Amino acid sequence: MKFNMPTLTRALLALWLILVMAMTSAFGQEKEQGTIISDVDMYVSPDTTAQKLARATRGRDVILVMDRTTLSGKLWAHVLVVVDVNLEQETTRQISGWIPNTYLVTTATRNGDQIIYGEAVDSENQAQQRGGRKGSAQDAMRLYYRVYEYFPGSPLAGEALWRAADIRWQLEKQDVMRRPSSREMDPSVREGMEEQTMKELIKKFPHTKWADLASFDLIDNKLCGSWQGETKCPEKESDLYEKYAREHPQSPKAAEALYDAAWRQAVLVDMYKAANERDKSEKARKKSTELAQQIVTQYAEGDWKPLAMELMHALEQGLPTYNAETKKPVS
Amino acid sequence: MKRWKKIRVPLLILLAAALASGAGNEKATILRESALYSAPGTNSQKTGQVERGRDLTILGRKDADGQPWFNVSMASDPSAQITKEVSGWIPGAAVATASTANGDEVVFGQAVASEHQAEERGGRKNAAMDAMRLYARVPELFTNSPLAAEGAWRSADIRWQLAKADFLRSGTQMDEKYLQQVVAKYPQTKQAQLAAYELLEGKLCPEWRGLPDCPEKESAIYEQYAKENPKSPKATEALYNAAWRQAALTDIYRIDNDNSKSDAARKKAAALAQQIVNQYSQDDWKPRAQALLYKLEKKIPVYGSATE
Repeated sequence: MKFNMPTLTRALLALWLILVMAMTSAFGQEKEQGTIISDVDMYVSPDTTAQKLARATRGRDVILVMDRTTLSGKLWAHVLVVVDVNLEQETTRQISGWIPNTYLVTTATRNGDQIIYGEAVDSENQAQQRGGRKGSAQDAMRLYYRVYEYFPGSPLAGEALWRAADIRWQLEKQDVMRRPSSREMDPSVREGMEEQTMKELIKKFPHTKWADLASFDLIDNKLCGSWQGETKCPEKESDLYEKYAREHPQSPKAAEALYDAAWRQAVLVDMYKAANERDKSEKARKKSTELAQQIVTQYAEGDWKPLAMELMHALEQGLPTYNAETKKPVS
Repeated sequence: MKRWKKIRVPLLILLAAALASGAGNEKATILRESALYSAPGTNSQKTGQVERGRDLTILGRKDADGQPWFNVSMASDPSAQITKEVSGWIPGAAVATASTANGDEVVFGQAVASEHQAEERGGRKNAAMDAMRLYARVPELFTNSPLAAEGAWRSADIRWQLAKADFLRSGTQMDEKYLQQVVAKYPQTKQAQLAAYELLEGKLCPEWRGLPDCPEKESAIYEQYAKENPKSPKATEALYNAAWRQAALTDIYRIDNDNSKSDAARKKAAALAQQIVNQYSQDDWKPRAQALLYKLEKKIPVYGSATE
């Protein structure tokens, strides 16, 4: 069989053209999405003198970049942004408008993941500073989430989702702890922190450091609001922490969990002693020492080893960890 | 020979007594706050309070209430408003000395616990001071401990942070002595590098007032630190601080219409940020440097009004 060379070349050329067109069309359909790295006003048209529509804050979800135009040497982007309507009810709506392009970082931006993540770190730093920018913790939370959402393949995606989830968790925890129900013994009485993002993290990044950290935060929802001098709370909580350490031995929180378990057992030593339950007190003392010793043996690095050594010393010397009269731990 | 045997027992007793009295010079500290008593036993009169981590000298020991008691002398401590040396008796259970088994880790552990308390909302009052004292006792009581340098650094750091808060409130000058001691006593260590970094704060301007002199000087200070301490845990942060100040100078000079200086500052900022990206791939500083590079490229202001 002989090939007609010009015919083959034409056929290959046609195939190549079809492939290029298909690829171009596929990329063309890929939406450009991203976020804003500074607070900006949105305008009806690409002009700072035009009517303002809304103020978009850092980390807002830019779900679509619809158009770009240059006016007086300045590049503008026509975007569809999700903004808050009611912070209390957490309702949002989508607004389209024009913003200066310089503040927009999208899936098409080179090193976009790192730029958004860097801005998130800056915002988190602001949140930790006395007199830092108002709302900066929420900014950081949104920015971190955008890294995970729009750059799922980035090496920063897991860490970003963890940080977003943790900031949300800590902010909600502050709210929850201010309510009177936070002082109830039974944790089911109070409205806990929303677990959705943490669970999403565990599902998306199973068996990772971030999943381990998320699992540790989730324990918060199971802790008693107050012990009210009853042994069932520290007993249950000690079990929760010990179980965590057993199931997540490689977690950055494993030693802390073991210490939390050991410390609660040390509290039980004093609780049972005050109730004249010598056997139970002695059993708790042994358990506490055993758990603290486990930290010393398994986690020699960091501050948890000296903390465990101090706890063992206190148990040995009979120094109290809990004051039965005030029904409060000795801080 | 017989004569020696006769005096041997009393001599040994005397020697033991001398050794026991030698314990009078033994240094110690306390792990839990305790009352100071006029005599051994909780029934005796309370004469004061001994806070965690206080610098104690043991003068004597006695048993009472079925436990050992220590007669201690407590050094003056202006930070605790104790201007003269006081002495009294305290229960021995919470006392740690150089001979306490694993004493360095035990004292360090209580310092960590106190520091945690200080960081907690509604934590124990004066817990930061307790931590500061306890950390300081680690190198004093356990000179050769692997925790000695870390104890000295953390104590000096807490003292510095407390003094800084005081300075911001009342303008009281911060004392550099303790940080300088860390640098001098533990040269070439991570702790000395951290202390040296903290000392830079004393050289920073309280306010820039929109003028270029301060950020110029501060950028040079941070860059020099990064050059001199490339292995320091603070090297990247120092480089970032230098870069960020150059980025701020870009805006300050632009506002002053000094375009050539503004451009020079932009180039310098970009070079420093790029150095972070190239040299330090770990931790948060690389993405922060990338974000700064992006702002410099897009001419997004970092100083003054950064919004549109």
